[in-house]
Amino acid sequence: MPAAPFADRARFDARDKVLGRTAFTADVQLPNMLYAMPVPATIAKGKLTSLSTAQAMKVPGVVRILTADDFAPPTPPPKGAVGPAAAPPPPTISPDIAHRGAPVAVVVAESIEAAIEGAEAIRAAYEAAPEFSPLITSKGSAREASETVKAGNAASAMARATTTVEAEYISPAQHHNPIEMLSTTAVWADGRLTIYEATQGAQSVKANVARTLRLDPALVDVKSGYIGGAFGQKGGSQRQTAIIARAAMLTGRPVKLVMPRGQIFHNATFRPLSRHRVKLGADAQGKMIAVEYDADHQQSRRGQFPPRYHEAQTQMYGIADYTGTAANVRIDTQAPGFMRAPHPHPASFGFEGAVDELAYKLGKDPVAFRLAHDATVDPVSGHPLSSRYLNECIAEGARRFGWDRRNPKPGATVLKDGTQVGWGVGCGAYPSITSANIATLRIGADGKTRFAVSAHEMGQGIRTVIAQVLLRELDIDPDKLELAIGDTSAVPQHVTAGSWGTASAVPIAEECARKIKAAIAELVGERKIAGNLHRQLATVKRPFVEIEHSKLGPGQKPEALAALRQSGFALSGAEYPEFSTFSYIAHFAEVRIEPRTRRIRVPRVVSVADCGRVISPRTSASQVYGGVVWAIGSVLREETEVDERYGGWLNNDIADYVMPVNADIGEIDVSFIDKPDPLLNSLGSKGLGEVAMVGAAAAVANAVFHATGKRIRKMPIRIEDLL
Amino acid sequence: MQPLSYIAPKSVEEAVAAFARAGEGASYIAGGTSFYDMMKLDIARPRHLIDVTGIDGLDGIETDGDQLRFEALAPMSTVAANRVLLRDYPVLAESLWKAASQQLRNMATIGGNLLQRTRCMYFRNGTGNPSSVGSYPCNKREPGSGCAAIGGLDRGQAVLGQSASCTAVSPGDWPVALVALDAMIEIVGPAGTRSTPVADLYRLPGDTPNQEFTLAPGEIVTAIVVPKTPAGRRSTYHKIRDRESYAFALASAAVALDMDGNTVRRAHIALGGVATKPWRATQAEQLLAGQKLDRKLALSAGRAAFEDAKAGKHNAFKIDLGARTVADALMIAAERKA
Repeated sequence: MPAAPFADRARFDARDKVLGRTAFTADVQLPNMLYAMPVPATIAKGKLTSLSTAQAMKVPGVVRILTADDFAPPTPPPKGAVGPAAAPPPPTISPDIAHRGAPVAVVVAESIEAAIEGAEAIRAAYEAAPEFSPLITSKGSAREASETVKAGNAASAMARATTTVEAEYISPAQHHNPIEMLSTTAVWADGRLTIYEATQGAQSVKANVARTLRLDPALVDVKSGYIGGAFGQKGGSQRQTAIIARAAMLTGRPVKLVMPRGQIFHNATFRPLSRHRVKLGADAQGKMIAVEYDADHQQSRRGQFPPRYHEAQTQMYGIADYTGTAANVRIDTQAPGFMRAPHPHPASFGFEGAVDELAYKLGKDPVAFRLAHDATVDPVSGHPLSSRYLNECIAEGARRFGWDRRNPKPGATVLKDGTQVGWGVGCGAYPSITSANIATLRIGADGKTRFAVSAHEMGQGIRTVIAQVLLRELDIDPDKLELAIGDTSAVPQHVTAGSWGTASAVPIAEECARKIKAAIAELVGERKIAGNLHRQLATVKRPFVEIEHSKLGPGQKPEALAALRQSGFALSGAEYPEFSTFSYIAHFAEVRIEPRTRRIRVPRVVSVADCGRVISPRTSASQVYGGVVWAIGSVLREETEVDERYGGWLNNDIADYVMPVNADIGEIDVSFIDKPDPLLNSLGSKGLGEVAMVGAAAAVANAVFHATGKRIRKMPIRIEDLL
Repeated sequence: MQPLSYIAPKSVEEAVAAFARAGEGASYIAGGTSFYDMMKLDIARPRHLIDVTGIDGLDGIETDGDQLRFEALAPMSTVAANRVLLRDYPVLAESLWKAASQQLRNMATIGGNLLQRTRCMYFRNGTGNPSSVGSYPCNKREPGSGCAAIGGLDRGQAVLGQSASCTAVSPGDWPVALVALDAMIEIVGPAGTRSTPVADLYRLPGDTPNQEFTLAPGEIVTAIVVPKTPAGRRSTYHKIRDRESYAFALASAAVALDMDGNTVRRAHIALGGVATKPWRATQAEQLLAGQKLDRKLALSAGRAAFEDAKAGKHNAFKIDLGARTVADALMIAAERKA
């Protein structure tokens, strides 16, 4: 039976957050704690030839300086490990400088001020490499083809096409810039290592730190209770973790690092620059029949972030013949990684732009054109799509936006003062992935309930989502509900990313609730006891009942639970054994462009999402607001810039890396189809956080075209592009 | 970051004496909204901080006589909200409230704002310390080291007033409005008191871009004086930037017009975001004098303001944008009631 719609609920932790009570990881304060500050390399590539620490050690308060000598090579991956478990952990401190800003030493001191003064007093000498490749167009960049995604025969279908468009779109390098900096605090006490880190993957941090420092993983606990924004930057293993852990082991005291933002720009992962050459073909009836799409992106020399740009585009418009190539272009930067809607955001910018171009070329309305391309089958796997309400999203969005009042002619909608007005549409899909999960649930006679599950709270609202399900199922005291997440000492933790958090947490929460209700009912037996579950336990004189439960994704094998314990990665989907599942969204944007100084404003956006059953209406709407804001930032503001003579990132602070402010954001009207997916899980929940932003950048760029008649095929679109 | 002494004198005289006593490495600090950045980025390395915000009674605003007088420690936010300015000198009020954020304007002083350092990214992010991370030559920071902005990512750099040594933009908004209105500053220093036009506070970079201001060591700006003008009400500060708020100008124009019907008696025009110092657009002012203002003339004036402009690799658009900004500013100002 499909789950009934959920009522609105305030954010689980809203009150604490508003009152400033929530302790984020960067807030951790421990007695006797030391502070760390890394020393960034000041060359783009080469070798550290000498490091003089004598002056730094004289700075009052400096306790210890870690260098490459303090680290042994990591242990090799476990036998038979594949995928993420086999990937090498991030480097620590190395004399081999692969990119500007890499740490060459870390100063540990009694105060943050002493640590900085010490770091500034270190003198490093380098032998710079004679050449380095800071851009994908630089000499020495190395192109490396990746897997091609194929459905049908695109070449022959393209040959049949009567109308084609072909265009290259560029998505720039961008950085996540969550408010909370990268932060690690490590404690080495009684033979155990405890790490407090703002991470989306406590289990993978545990595994990697253990390998890097040659420790038994059983001795390592990682805690990530509240994260001040993550967006993928805190998804992978962070370079500083093992360094700070080592510092704690060497000094015997807790050590804390909050990394300065300039160093985050240079050491954290980022969204790599990517290029999207899209060719679309339509037949004489105006039906899209062929896609040939070549994508590539910047990659570090050893980076692993895959160029998976076709993972969702194949699902958009029921086009049976699709060939998508992909490549890494290896250059001298730090490793890029996952940033919100990692592949579908840049891919949809190109793809949805090309679809818009084709619609205009065919003389068709961009909304009607998309509606004419509904789909029921995943062309890659041949499986049916378990649910797809994209057309409902488009139709409802068009209605709310007032699309039927649109003058189709580009450049024709002009206000009295010369302001050009444009309306654009852009759509998106995102794979609905499921992680294996393990949970414990304990209800006490004392009124307390504790639910431990695999999930991390980075502001997306996962605690609210879990509370929605538990409180609907269980008659318990909501004020004494504790949700233990992001803590490897509770249950194993998956890397919470890729929009699989909710759809992986709510089915197990529901099953746990039903299981514990049955257990308590058995205890109570035939007796009729008034009151909630706590009262019932008290009456039968049971201090508590606790259950443990595990859950696999559709078609997942039990070995997935071992993988979850080992690496934090135990994923299935979006291609399941008998079906494929994606989330969908349609965005409509209005732009207004000043007649002379050409500032682009976005007074309103309408977004309608299909994420299956909406578990938490309030935090879901917030996710879409955030995704739209981010897309506006991406398409109009954000680019991390490289001066090719120097390498590194020039605009490495949030004054010069320009993100939207409140004044940049107009009205955002968010709604949901809210129909449960019939196959994916018991609640019919699909993912949302990523798909929220997919296609929105294209909607804005398509609106810019509608306003001006000028097609800008790169992000960000700036004043000078329209002067 | 290094240890430093800190003192908060109660009077201007005490502050000047404290500066002299402190010797090398002495620096005044007021709101600190820019100077602390410089310290974190290892650009400013003061040994002795003399905090002037403790000076009593140096934050007055007088608008009654034939001039406007602002004492140096008045917060930007207070001056921005001054009713006389909002009504009679919108160019001044707008230049303040279009700068920074409310929080920063609450801290920053109108005197300290005159001395804000450039936002050139090669200047700011180039010392290689733990915060700046980048490592770039900069003649302003390390005289003789070279200029990485020339031939580099110069989208934000100056198109007016630059030299072969430096193309860094003067970042202010308030100084631009003051220059347009022929404002003066009062200065107290070891050698006594003096007064000078705001425009003369700033040096062109030339061969010595490290020398930005004409203040002698130990001198403090104590007040800003703006002569009242009939052009005040027909004025505006028009600021074009990469986002709606909380950003430095790509191009800005401070404009005040004294009009006789549609005819310009006298125009005051200064430019921000495009030049190495707050830039008086004398050619544009001359072109407008005695002419009937319309959009076409306004754009001609805008073009005249940039007649001597020279672009680098990525900032040619600022010449065009700057001219259009001046033109729009003139039309906005002209539509206001005198």
